[in-house]
Amino acid sequence: MAVTRFHAEIATAIGTGALGIAAVIGATELGLGWSESGPQPGYFPFYVGLILIAASLWNLASAFVKHRQATLDASNGAEAEEPFLDREKVQRLGGFLGAMLAFVVATLWLGIYIGAAGYIAYSAWRKGGYKLPLSLAIGLGFSVSLYVIFEVIFKIPLLKGPIENMLGIY
Amino acid sequence: MGNFDLLMHGFGIAITPMHLMLMVAGVLMGLIVGVLPGLGAPNGVSLLIPLTFALDPTSAIILLSSMYWGALFGGSTTSILFNIPGEPSSVATTFDGYPMAQKGESTRALTLAFMSAGIGALLGIIVITLLAGWASNFALKFGAPEYFAVYFLAFAAFIGMGSASPAKTLVSLATGLILSTVGMDTVTGEVRLTFGYDELLSGISFLVVVIGLFGIGELLSTVQEGLRFRGVSSRIDLRDVLRTIRELPRYWATTIRSGLIGIWMGITPGGPTAASFMSYGIARQASRKGQPFGTGRPEGIVAPETADHSAGTCAMLPMLALGVPSSATAAVMMGGLMIWGLTPGPMLFATKPDFVWGLIASMYISNIVGVILVLATVPMFAALLRIPFAIIGPMIVAICFVGAYTVSNSTFDLWLVLVFGLVGYMFNRLDYPLAPLVLAMVLGHKAENAFHQSMVLSDGSLGIFFSNTLVSSIMVLGLALLILPKMLQLGGRLRRKMPVE
Repeated sequence: MAVTRFHAEIATAIGTGALGIAAVIGATELGLGWSESGPQPGYFPFYVGLILIAASLWNLASAFVKHRQATLDASNGAEAEEPFLDREKVQRLGGFLGAMLAFVVATLWLGIYIGAAGYIAYSAWRKGGYKLPLSLAIGLGFSVSLYVIFEVIFKIPLLKGPIENMLGIY
Repeated sequence: MGNFDLLMHGFGIAITPMHLMLMVAGVLMGLIVGVLPGLGAPNGVSLLIPLTFALDPTSAIILLSSMYWGALFGGSTTSILFNIPGEPSSVATTFDGYPMAQKGESTRALTLAFMSAGIGALLGIIVITLLAGWASNFALKFGAPEYFAVYFLAFAAFIGMGSASPAKTLVSLATGLILSTVGMDTVTGEVRLTFGYDELLSGISFLVVVIGLFGIGELLSTVQEGLRFRGVSSRIDLRDVLRTIRELPRYWATTIRSGLIGIWMGITPGGPTAASFMSYGIARQASRKGQPFGTGRPEGIVAPETADHSAGTCAMLPMLALGVPSSATAAVMMGGLMIWGLTPGPMLFATKPDFVWGLIASMYISNIVGVILVLATVPMFAALLRIPFAIIGPMIVAICFVGAYTVSNSTFDLWLVLVFGLVGYMFNRLDYPLAPLVLAMVLGHKAENAFHQSMVLSDGSLGIFFSNTLVSSIMVLGLALLILPKMLQLGGRLRRKMPVE
C-alpha cells in the first residue's frame, strides 16, 4: 500500500475544511450578529471558520493543479510523483502508533506507571532485541524515576490505577 | 531610573544561589531536550510549565528561558556531530557543521558554533536592554484597536514572510484561532464549540496541543525515516577550543551581519529558523574566495548560529513589551506568564520591574553559563544519542503523555495529544507551518477581546482600525507585510519567465 503526496494533501485539506465547517455550524447556533453589548459570541469563530474553509479550498485546488502537472511531467518521461508513504514507512509508523495507542489505553485502565513500564519494556523487548528481564527492569526503572520526580520531589500526583491501590501507593 | 540602573538591579535579582542553580538546571534540561529528536524547545518548555507552579514567576521564567537557551545549544550539537538537527532552527548548521566534523575537526566546528551562538545571544540581549524601556513606553499608548492591529500585524507577517505557502500558513493560523475559541467565552460567558462534550468546557490547553504537535509529531517523523544515528567522534580537546576562539575575530563581518539579521527576524515575527536560513544564504552570497560552502566552511557555521541565537533572544522583547511572541517557544512562555497570573505587555514593565529586569539580566548570565556547560558536557549528551531508539523513543512518548496529563489532570488530554500528534505529523510532512497555530492559540483570546472592545467602541464600524495615525500605520504595515513579499516573489518569477516565452 502506497500513499501519494496528492492523497495526503487532499485528505488534510478536507480535514481542515471540515473543522472550518464545524466552527461555522457551531457559531451559527450561538448567533453571529450584533447585540447591545457588541458582537455576539459566534461572530469571531464564524468568520475565522469561513477563512479556514476558503484556505482549505485553495490548498485542495493547488493540490489538484500540482498533481496534474506531475502526471503530465511523468508522461513526458520525467520522474513520477514522490510517494508520501511507502510500504516500509507504513509498517514502521503503524507499529509505533499501535504500541502508542496500546499505551494510552493501558494508561487509562491501569494508570500511567504501569502503562509506561509495560510500554517501554515491550518496546525494548520486541523492537530493541533486549532480553525480557532486562527490558522489564528498564521499564520499571523508568516508572520509579517518574514517581520520584513527580510525586516525591514536585508533589504532583499522576494517574494511578487499581494495582497501585492494591499496593497501597497513593 | 535609566535602563542601565534597572539592568544592574536585575543582576541583583538574578545572581542568587537559587537562581544560578535554576539556570544551570534549565540549561542542562534544555541540552537534553535539544539533543533528543522529538523533544524540542517549544514542547520542552510546555512539559516544564506545570512543574513551575510552585516557583515564583521570576524564578520560573529564569528556569524556562534557560531551558530555551540550552535547547538552542543542544540542537547545534546534534547538527554537527550526527547531521541530525535537534531543532528546526539548527538545520542550516548541518550544511557546513557536519562536513567539518567529518574532516576530524569536530572540536573546531562545535566551538565555532557555540561561541558564535553565545555572541549572537549577547548581541540580542544588548538590543533588548537598550530597547526595553522605549518599547514599553511606546506600547503604553496602545488601546484596544492598536492591540488588535498588532495581533493582525503578527498574523500577517507569518503569512507574508513565512517560507510556506500562504494558504497553508492561513490554515494553520485559522485552526489555532478556532481551537482557542473552544470552551467558555470569557467576554460573554457563553459556552462555544464544545458540541456537547463536557471535557471541552474548560477549553483546549495550548500546552497539550504543543506537546502533541511538536513532541509526538516530530517523533513520528523520526520513526518513519527509521533513524540510525551515525555520529562522529565527540571528544573535546581544550587546546583546539582555545585555538578556535583565537580564530573567531576573523569572521567579524559575518558575525555582525548575521547578528543584525537575527535581531530583525527575532523582533518581527520571522523567528529563529527563518533567520538562520536567511543568514546562511546571505553569507554564501557575500563570500568571494575560499573553499565552497557546504564543505565545512567556518562562515557556514558562524552565520546560522549567530542569527539563530540572536533571533531566539530577541523574540523575548515583543513578547514582554507587546504581548506578541515571535517564535513558537516564546508563545509557549507567554502562555506560562498568563498562567502565573502576569499580563504580558507594557504594564508588566511598570508593575513588575523585578520580573522583567531579572529575566533580562539572567539572559546575560545563563547564555555564558550555557556556552561553558555545553562545551563541557558535549560528550555526555552525544552519548544520549547512542541509546537505541527502541528505548529512548517510547520514553519520550511516555514523558510527553505524562506532561500533558499534569497540565490539568485530565485523561481526555491524553487523547488530544494523540490526535494532535497525528496532525503535527501530517502538517510537518506537507509543509504546513506549526508556529502560527501555536501563536494563534495563545493570542486567540486576546485578539478576539481586542476586536470585541474595538467594535464596542466604534459601534460596529471597522473604520476604528484606521481612526488615528498609530493604529492606521500598524494596520498598513500589516497589510504591506501580508501582500508585498509574495507580490515581489511573483513579480520576480514573471520577469524571469518573460524572455523564455
